[in-house]
Amino acid sequence: MKIQRKLLNRIEGEVELKLLWDSGRIKDAFVCAPNYRGFEKLLVGRPYLDAVVITPRICGICGHAHLMASVEAIEDAYRKAGFKVELSDKAQRIRKLTLTCEFLQNHLRWFYLYLMPDIIKLEPNLRELYEPLKGSVWTEALKASNLPVKVIALFGGQWPHTSYAVPGGVVCDPTGWELVQAEFLLRKLKEFFEERLLGMTFENYLSLKGEEYLEKLGGDMRVFCEVAIDHGLHEAGASYDRFLSGGNFLPGVTSGVLSENGKKFSFEVSKVSENEDFSFFSKRKEAYTWSKAARYEGLPYETGPLARQLMSGNEIIKNLYGKYGSSVLVRVLARLDEGAKLLKEALVLLSGIKLNEPSWIKPPLETKNFSGKGVGVIEASRGTLIHEIEINQGKIKSYNVITPTVWNLGPRDGKYLGVVERAVVGMASELKAEIVVRSFDVCSVCTSH
Amino acid sequence: MNLLWLQGLTCSGNTQSFLCAENPSADEVLGMFEVLFCPFSSWEVDMEEVILKLLRRREELNVLILEGAVGGSDHRVCKRSFAEVVRELSRRADYVIALGNCAVFGNIPAKYDQEVKGLQYRFKQMGGVLGRDFRSRSGLPVINLSGCPAHPSWLSYVLLQILSQRKIELDELGRPKELYAYLTHHGCIRNEYFEWKVEAEELGKKEGCLFYYFGCKGPMTHSSCNRILWNGLSSKTRVGMPCVGCTEYDFPREGMLETRHLMGIPDELPLGVSKRGYILISGIAKTFAPERLKKRLMDEDSKETAQQD
Ligand code: SF4
Ligand code: SF4
Repeated sequence: MKIQRKLLNRIEGEVELKLLWDSGRIKDAFVCAPNYRGFEKLLVGRPYLDAVVITPRICGICGHAHLMASVEAIEDAYRKAGFKVELSDKAQRIRKLTLTCEFLQNHLRWFYLYLMPDIIKLEPNLRELYEPLKGSVWTEALKASNLPVKVIALFGGQWPHTSYAVPGGVVCDPTGWELVQAEFLLRKLKEFFEERLLGMTFENYLSLKGEEYLEKLGGDMRVFCEVAIDHGLHEAGASYDRFLSGGNFLPGVTSGVLSENGKKFSFEVSKVSENEDFSFFSKRKEAYTWSKAARYEGLPYETGPLARQLMSGNEIIKNLYGKYGSSVLVRVLARLDEGAKLLKEALVLLSGIKLNEPSWIKPPLETKNFSGKGVGVIEASRGTLIHEIEINQGKIKSYNVITPTVWNLGPRDGKYLGVVERAVVGMASELKAEIVVRSFDVCSVCTSH
Repeated sequence: MNLLWLQGLTCSGNTQSFLCAENPSADEVLGMFEVLFCPFSSWEVDMEEVILKLLRRREELNVLILEGAVGGSDHRVCKRSFAEVVRELSRRADYVIALGNCAVFGNIPAKYDQEVKGLQYRFKQMGGVLGRDFRSRSGLPVINLSGCPAHPSWLSYVLLQILSQRKIELDELGRPKELYAYLTHHGCIRNEYFEWKVEAEELGKKEGCLFYYFGCKGPMTHSSCNRILWNGLSSKTRVGMPCVGCTEYDFPREGMLETRHLMGIPDELPLGVSKRGYILISGIAKTFAPERLKKRLMDEDSKETAQQD
């Protein structure tokens, strides 16, 4: 048996893939996150508002999602302790808008910057377009990915790493100037979607129906689909076919749990647990990663755009899933389709912001003496993100973070392989196995935090 | 010139930040170098092979960028500890750049683990992984681009200075003076409120300075955040978010969104201001503060009518 060790280190931090080959196929796979930074421990003993400054630093790609989870966990603690926390419609819209923009940034960068370079390995003639730093589409896509980031900056001051959302609302007080700018930026992003990604107008894209969807696709989505189907990526990459989404924040992003026999349940955070058996925390010699394994009712679940879209009743994705299962093809399309729909939602959110409402409504409590417990469950672009906080006399007593990649890239437990591990077992090509891993949106930095 | 970009203990935020660069953009800046390895653009080469080649002295190294702090020994690259690899490559490089607060001071990961360090510092303490006397082949110590994350233009500036062989002057913490002589406070649009001691008592408003109640570290943080704007258009303090001082060695401090006081005087005063000076000036400023600063910039009624039209 051949043992192969492989570092995946494009953009998302280092993930080590250990593959055990037997007769030309992957017999077993280990996803290892080699670095650990100790966020949860660092937070203990600090004033609890520090969490909104520190937790975004868990991840440079989806730090904004951490900010939102953190703020919601604190607000939940207030409410559970009997305090009324009000948020104006304006503050809610702005928070949702900036989080949506982080999704847009992530989806674009993920597709063009992280995934397409693997695709040009399969089809070298596409190199001219998608080669990192040099390809004409790559550079254009990079610039387009900065448009939603600028929208976050208009309300949050900067991206990455702002803490502009605080319990009770947001700190910004935008004027029409910010709204006009944001709208302009989103419209430019829409143009990029139409000209490059979708290869057709938004209206045409949104009118595509189940059967004809794949044939009618245009733009870079079509390029990807053709290569994917030519190389069998429509048949590779299935894992447990159990999906989960925790956050409920827009029409296209709903929560729920989907079992392997197609039954839907509502998501209950109390059913989430973490297993440490194969993580270094256990100090066992079998341990191989700093990541824990997240489980729902004791079972591994896939999270991310595909999970969300299946939960949200997205007909196109449901159809594709029916036909091709949870393959690389469907996983990628779920993400891109979500991107297109979220962009539309972003414009709706923006147009509804009423400037005369308050941005921040001071919560009615003295922070120094506050004690309580709360949980914030939201969707980050990569999937379900959970923050749990316990506060004692104004100080953090304990803090726990379960990131999207802990669901997908976490290790095995006594019974089940991790979601990604399971997805690559049986594969015969190293490159395709890597593409399968990447289709889950690898991020080692948030896997071990 | 070639360039190698490695990551230690990091959130990848500096990479993400750099991808947001404009004028020049990330591809334009890196396009001027021969990139040996970079986490967001290398797709054909294997990082370990590249490093091995350098370690075996098969190639010169011109610019080494490290993002992220350097930990103890468990993180291994090319079968060696990451710290060892970083030390060896730094010695070999013409220029060494520590990108972001983790690489500069150790930052968040160093708070948790005693063994974690930045390249030439561990918080305030000089030394770091490379030792206090480290000089790269150009004769410069580590060029420290602190910030959590560092602003993309700060890195572009240094890289372009290196390319054009212009001198980079560093401050006492190894940071380029042209970028870090400024304070966040410089260029903050709330500055007039600061001068007249008109403090924001609530968040979510355009008006008022965030120094007195909300922990703004603008007056004691070396950063050009309000001169070289983020994402080309804004900054934390411009939107009303207190500066948390992420370019300084003591980030992240405890209680970042509050200002601690002793008998009405903030525990920490603006850089170079004495307690006596502060009391005197703020008393006078408050007394003579112009009325217009105590009002909202735009009054609510007119805004409401504008909305309804
Ligand atoms: S808000 Fe901060 S940076 Fe701005 S003027 Fe006040 S103290 Fe200075
Ligand atoms: S304003 Fe302050 S906290 Fe924000 S990036 Fe600049 S130095 Fe860091």
